[in-house]
Amino acid sequence: MFLEIKDLSVKIENKNILKSLNLNINKGEVHAIMGPNGSGKSTLANVLAGKEDYEILNGRINFKDNDLFDLNIEERAQEGMFLAFQYPVEIPGVNITPFLHSAINSKRKRMNEEEIDNLSFAKLLKSKANDLGINIDMLKRSVNTGFSGGEKKRYEILQMSILNPDLSILDETDSGLDIDALKIVTDGVNKLKTKDNSFLIITHYQKLLDYIKPDYVHVMVNGSIVKSGGSEIADEIEKDGFQKFQ
Amino acid sequence: MNIQDNYLKNKKNIFFSENKDIATHREKLINIFENDRFDKKNNESLKNLNLKNFIDFKYKYLIPEETSVINNNHENSYSIVSVNGQCSSFKDDKIEITKILDEDYNDFSKNDTIENNDHFVNLNSLFLNSGFKIVIKKNNNIKIKISNIITDDDLTIFQKNNYICEEGSSLDLIEEYENKNNSTSNILNVIKLEKNSQLNHFLIQDNSPNHNLIITTHSSCKKDSTYTQKVYNFSEGYVRNFHYTELIEANSEADLQGIFFLKDNNTSNNKTFVKHLAEDCKSNQVYKGILNDRSKATYFSNTHVDKVAQKTEGYQLSKGILLSDNASYFSKPELKIYADDVKCSHGSTIGPIDENAIFYLRSRGMSKIAATKILISSFINEELDSIDNEQMSEIIQKKLVRYLSKVK
Repeated sequence: MFLEIKDLSVKIENKNILKSLNLNINKGEVHAIMGPNGSGKSTLANVLAGKEDYEILNGRINFKDNDLFDLNIEERAQEGMFLAFQYPVEIPGVNITPFLHSAINSKRKRMNEEEIDNLSFAKLLKSKANDLGINIDMLKRSVNTGFSGGEKKRYEILQMSILNPDLSILDETDSGLDIDALKIVTDGVNKLKTKDNSFLIITHYQKLLDYIKPDYVHVMVNGSIVKSGGSEIADEIEKDGFQKFQ
Repeated sequence: MNIQDNYLKNKKNIFFSENKDIATHREKLINIFENDRFDKKNNESLKNLNLKNFIDFKYKYLIPEETSVINNNHENSYSIVSVNGQCSSFKDDKIEITKILDEDYNDFSKNDTIENNDHFVNLNSLFLNSGFKIVIKKNNNIKIKISNIITDDDLTIFQKNNYICEEGSSLDLIEEYENKNNSTSNILNVIKLEKNSQLNHFLIQDNSPNHNLIITTHSSCKKDSTYTQKVYNFSEGYVRNFHYTELIEANSEADLQGIFFLKDNNTSNNKTFVKHLAEDCKSNQVYKGILNDRSKATYFSNTHVDKVAQKTEGYQLSKGILLSDNASYFSKPELKIYADDVKCSHGSTIGPIDENAIFYLRSRGMSKIAATKILISSFINEELDSIDNEQMSEIIQKKLVRYLSKVK
């Protein structure tokens, strides 16, 4: 099993958010989690990435044969987990290129791989940026600073393509995107899909799943997965909403 | 020993003691001390200060005859080693350096902007034992680097320096303070910018814990002149940076910037007082602090816009990052505006490092400590990028790396 979440319960500030949640993802699979506002989708994404605001009440998570709770935030990233943020953080003064260069090398170091030099990295970055229609000038700017909503999401996908993670978690990547930007972003994701990596896509809407075809769709309500199945569930939600699952 | 006794005991060693006008002025200053002492409650500039070190100082009149070196490295570039506040005389067709004269003292003592409020400037006037005067002659572009050296322990330097930039001249002035002695420097820089002149003043402060540095600058700017001050404080000892500036003629400008890097139990007090006294003048103040451990800082800023100073632009900004729960930064920007056609703003933000930014960077594989360091550097990135003096930039980068190496 690539990712195994067993009986996970999580709270924040005395409020129980995730309740005995179970989810298994195998290598090469694309899973989508759909759910209404406040159902705990983003909490799940943040807990997986290691955000420290949450209290784990119960359960375990295994990722690539590691107990995830034994790994801190950066170790999870270095092991191949990637969270594309719903609201990417603006960091004025931190230039995109050296930041990404440092990120990729921290992963390579953990994997005992040779670090990538400046020139090779510049070439890699340029080619990935071209694929995503990102202007080279944007790479001279500070991380997410002054970016439009669409630019921020595109930049998240650029980071994903550079870091080439084993498990990518896309937290409402479609929010705030117009149809053209959505197509560029989802094209980028589809290009990264291989039989060796997996995706967990969190979304409210079926629209995103028209572009990224999931193998499994899960409905999350009130902190638990209440139904799992194929892409027909997304069609059901599109037609009838979440009401009938609550 | 109280201030009056200290003064009377050492009178013969203090500069200009024979001058009757100056003696009278000093009697007045002693009276101020007698009446007001160091009233911490009502004088915010004394906040966080252990006054004992400054009131009960040893007045050791030891100014050895060290040689101050002046090299004309390149055509317009000079380097000075000021030893215990002294500097040798020098003259060529571009600059002139002399010892400070009693007329310079008298000239400054007529300015009452500071006197009633700033006891450290008053102490400087009272116990003056060193100082020099540098004149940049008309229409010359000059670079000067001054290394300020203290040679002995228990030395208290009361130094008054006068800088005069004559019409159309330009001066890049780098001052380095890197002292390791158990000593105190109380320095007053009095700067006069004549018409259409410019002074870019960089101060690098990197003293050891047992050296106290009190620097006060008073600048006055005439028509079309610009005074820029950039202070980088890496000191482990106490530092006080106060700046008073008067924009006395139209279209003059003051750009004041300070960055301080504090740790351990260190304290830094900062103050700016900008008076807009003519129209079309501009002032800009940016002060940023990074505070670790149990360090403390204050920043008081006051921009005063006189009723004649129409079309004034006056901006103040202070920001602080607290790297520890035990660090504190007190900031108080104030604007007093008596003209009706002005653009002014002030702002202040102080807080811990942005946890969301840390999480974001760590989620890409960066360690917590690396993320913290990158965010500290980014906090002052704009100011460091704006240093257009290569030598300065290199010095600051090295000291920043050293400071960051201690951040855990």
